[in-house]
Amino acid sequence: MADVWSTDAAAPALDEARLADVAAQALAALHAAGADAAQASVTRRRLTELQINHNHASLLRSTERHTLALAGLWGGRKATQELPTLLWHAGAPDAQRLAAAAAALRHDAAGAPRDEAHAFSAGQVAWHRRGPQRPDTGLLADAAQALLDFRATHTPTVMLEEAGARHHRVESCLATSGGSLLQVAQGWYEVDAFGFAAEPALAGAAPAISSFNAASGQGDTLDAARLPEAFGIGDMCRELARSTRTTSYAARFGGPGEAAVVLSPLAVSTLLGWLLDQIGDLALLAGTSPYRAAVGQVVASPLLTLDSRFDAPGLAPQSADGFVAAPLRVLDAGRLGALTPSLYGSRKLGLAHVPVAAGWQLAPGRTPLAELLAAVPRGALVGRLSMGRPAANGDFSGVIKNSFLIDGGTVGAALSETMISGNVAAMLRAVSAASAERRDTGLWCMPWLRVDGLHFS
Amino acid sequence: MTDAADPDLFEWRRHSLRRNRLQMIDGHLAQNVRGQEDGASVRVREAGYWGFAAGPEGSPRAQLLDQAQRNARAMARFGPRPATPLPGGRWHGEQPATGRPPLDAAQAVQRLQALHAWCTQRFPGLRSVRFLLGDELHAKQLQTGRGAESQAAIRRAVLVVTFVAEADDGRAVELPLFLSCKGSMADLELDPEALAAQLDELHGHVQAKRHAVPARGGQQTVVLAPALAGMLAHEAMGHPCEADSVLGGAITAGLLGQAIASPLVSMTDVAHTWQGQEAMMPVYVDDEGVPAVDAPLIDRGVLTGFMHSRETAQALGQAPTGSARAYGPTDEPLIRMRNTVIHPGERKLADMIAEVDDGYLLSHTANGQADATTEFMFGITLGYEIRHGRLGRAIRDTTVSGSALKVLRDVDAVSDDMYWTAAGYCGKKQPMIVSMGGPALRTRAHLGGE
Repeated sequence: MADVWSTDAAAPALDEARLADVAAQALAALHAAGADAAQASVTRRRLTELQINHNHASLLRSTERHTLALAGLWGGRKATQELPTLLWHAGAPDAQRLAAAAAALRHDAAGAPRDEAHAFSAGQVAWHRRGPQRPDTGLLADAAQALLDFRATHTPTVMLEEAGARHHRVESCLATSGGSLLQVAQGWYEVDAFGFAAEPALAGAAPAISSFNAASGQGDTLDAARLPEAFGIGDMCRELARSTRTTSYAARFGGPGEAAVVLSPLAVSTLLGWLLDQIGDLALLAGTSPYRAAVGQVVASPLLTLDSRFDAPGLAPQSADGFVAAPLRVLDAGRLGALTPSLYGSRKLGLAHVPVAAGWQLAPGRTPLAELLAAVPRGALVGRLSMGRPAANGDFSGVIKNSFLIDGGTVGAALSETMISGNVAAMLRAVSAASAERRDTGLWCMPWLRVDGLHFS
Repeated sequence: MTDAADPDLFEWRRHSLRRNRLQMIDGHLAQNVRGQEDGASVRVREAGYWGFAAGPEGSPRAQLLDQAQRNARAMARFGPRPATPLPGGRWHGEQPATGRPPLDAAQAVQRLQALHAWCTQRFPGLRSVRFLLGDELHAKQLQTGRGAESQAAIRRAVLVVTFVAEADDGRAVELPLFLSCKGSMADLELDPEALAAQLDELHGHVQAKRHAVPARGGQQTVVLAPALAGMLAHEAMGHPCEADSVLGGAITAGLLGQAIASPLVSMTDVAHTWQGQEAMMPVYVDDEGVPAVDAPLIDRGVLTGFMHSRETAQALGQAPTGSARAYGPTDEPLIRMRNTVIHPGERKLADMIAEVDDGYLLSHTANGQADATTEFMFGITLGYEIRHGRLGRAIRDTTVSGSALKVLRDVDAVSDDMYWTAAGYCGKKQPMIVSMGGPALRTRAHLGGE
C-alpha cells in the first residue's frame, strides 16, 4: 500500500553542514553588528498529518516551517528575535537579510536593561539523530484505520471528535559565539485521540453523553496492530463508553467528605507538572517556590522517584538555552535532587545551573493496580483533573473528570459534578501507594498513585 | 486559478503571524522576544476529502496545490464519501489592522520599567511584581476558487500584572490582572498614573487574599462578575454551539428551538460589530472566504443557532456564519468563536449582591474548560463571601463548575454593565485569539472548597 499512498512531495534533505553554515553566518552577522556574544538557531520542521474528524478520516496535511532564532548581547543587554527564513529557497544564506535582522536585534537590545546574568552556552557540542527521517504515509493510514476499526468494533458509542496520526521531522542547529554546536535530525510518529461517548436519547430525554477525554503518545514507529492499546487509547475509549451514565460523589455518600483518590497516569503528570514548575525559572525568580531551599530535603513520599527521559522518541536531550541535558533525578525516594533554573535564572540567583529538556518518568511501585484499587474503602479513580492553575502555595480545587467511584475496593459508576480540593505539595507527600503498572506515552511514563485525605464536594 | 477537481473548493492563503513578548520579573527583563512566521497554504477538497499543504513564505502556489491535491486524492483509500457542493458566499475587500504605530522593543521596555518603578514605590510590601506584555498581528491574504479575494488583519495586545504578597503563614499569595485591547502594545494603556485605580484595586485584593478563607464546597449562590460571564459564554455554551461539535453529538444537537436558559439570557457570537462599535476581534471574512455574520446562539433563553464552516452549514442545512479560522500559516481552518457575548440586562451589580443572604461573589478567573456535556469549570483567582447582602472575607483560589444548561436556567439577575476581554487564547487543536464579554450574572453553581 505504501507505494499507492506515496504523497510526499520531493523535499531535498537538508544536510547538517548546510544548517551549521546558516547558523555560522547568522553568528557572523551578529558579531558584525557588534554583539559581545550571540546565539543562532536554525530549524526546519515538517509535519505529515492524517486527521480523523467525527469518526471519519477527513484530511491529509503536509506542512513545512523554517525558523531562524537570533539572540545577541550588547553590553549586558539582550534581545531575541525569531524570523521565518527563505534561506534554503535562495540556495544560500541571504547576507542582506541577516545583516538587517542583526541590526534590528541590536536596536531592540539597546532599549533593554543591562543585566549581567544574561549569557549563552559555551563549549556544548552534540549531535542527536534519531527516528524515521521520512514519513511512511502508508503507516499513518494504517494507524488511522486501526483507530477507526477499534472504535467501530469495541466502543461504537465513542465519537472520535478529533484524532490523528502524524509524522514529525525536525532538523535544527544551535550555535553560539562560545563554541556550542548542537545539532538535531529526528523524526517520530505521534498518535492522538480526543472524544466522548454518546448513547442515543430515549424518548423525551436528552442523550446520555460522557465527558471528553484524550490520549496520545509518540514513538519511533507505529505498530497499527497494537496501536489502539498503546498510549492508553483503548482504555480511554472503553472508559468513555461506560461513562455516559453518571452519579455524583455526594449522591452516593450523602454529602461532602474526605476520601482517597487513585490518580491515573495522566492526572499524576498534572501533579508532577506543578512540582516541575516550582523548581523552574519563574517560581524561583519570583520567589514563590516552596522548594527554593529544599534541595536534599524530603519533599514527597518515599514512593516517588522522578527521572528525566530526555532522549525519548521525539525529544532531544538539549535545554532551550543551548545545553546538553544530562540525565537527571529530580526526586529520589521523595528527596529533592535539584532545582532546574535556566542559565539566566542560575546566574541571577546564584544557583547551580541544571539543564533540562522535556520528558519524565516516575518509578513504578510494587503494588499491582488491581490490588491498589481494592484497598481503597471510599474514593475515586481520577482520570483527569480539570482545574485552574494551583496557587503558588499548592492549594487547588478541581473537577475530577473521566473518574469513577470507588466503594469498598470496587470501581463503580462514573462520577459527575464532583470536585476535590487539597494542596499539591501535601498530596506529593501523602502518596501511599504506587502501582507496578505504568502508562508510557513516550513523553512521560507514570504509574497510578493513591493519595488519601482529599476533600470531596 | 486551479486545476483542482472542484474549483469551488480551493483556498490559497498567505499568512503572516507576528508576536512580541516581554516578561519583567521584579524589574529584570527575563524575556524580550520578537517573532515572525510567514507562510502560504493551499486547501482543496476532492471526492469528499480535504487535502492541505503549507510551506514557508515564497513557496510556489503550484507546488502547494500539487501536494494538497495528492493529499486529498490519497484519502480515497478510506472509501467513497459524499462530495456534496458546499454553501458559502465570497468576500472581496480589505480589513486592515487598526491602531497606533506599534512600539519598538525599547519603548515597550521603558514602559514596563516605569510601571515597575511606580508599583514598587507605591506598594513596597509586595514580595514580587511581574509583568507580561505582548501583542500579536495576524495578516492574511486569501483567494478562493469561489471568487473570494481578501486581505484581512486583526491585532490584539495583552498586559498581565501579577502582584505576589505573603500570607500570614509565610506562603506566597498571588493575583493576576489581565488587561487587553484591540491593536498593538501602543494601544494598551501603560501609563502608571492612568492605571493607578486598577493597580490600587489589585493591591487591595491581594492584601485581602493574604487572609483568605477556604470557600465552602458544594452548590452555592454565586454572583459571577462581568469578567466571568464572558468566560461562561465562551466555555460553557460557546463550544457546544460550534457546529462541528454539534455534528459530533454535543448535547446541544437536539435542543435547537428549545428553552435552555433563563429568559434573561441572550447570547451571540459577534462577527465584527457590537451595538454599533467594532468588536475587539473583528472578523469580516473567514479563512474560507465567507463573509462573517453574527451567530445568534441564545435568544431570551431559547437556543437559536450554531457557528458554522461551509461544511457544517451544508451538513446541518443552515447558512454559513464565516466562523472558519486558522491560527498560524500552517494551520487549516476550524470553526472558532470570534467575540462571544452574553447580552446585558437591567439590574445593578450592587443590588444583585445586596439581595444575597449567603453566597459568593466570584470576580476574577484565569482559565476555563468546557465539556461535551456542557459541564464547565473556571479557575477562580479572586472571590469574596457574601453574607447578609454584604461582601465579606476573600476566599482562597478555587474552582467553580456546573452544567451550563442548569447554571443558565438558574440565572435570576443580569446586570446592565459589560466587560470585554481579548486577553486569552481559545484552545481547540490550534490556539486562537478571541474576545468574550458579558454582564454580571447571579445563579447557582458548584464551588470547590471545604
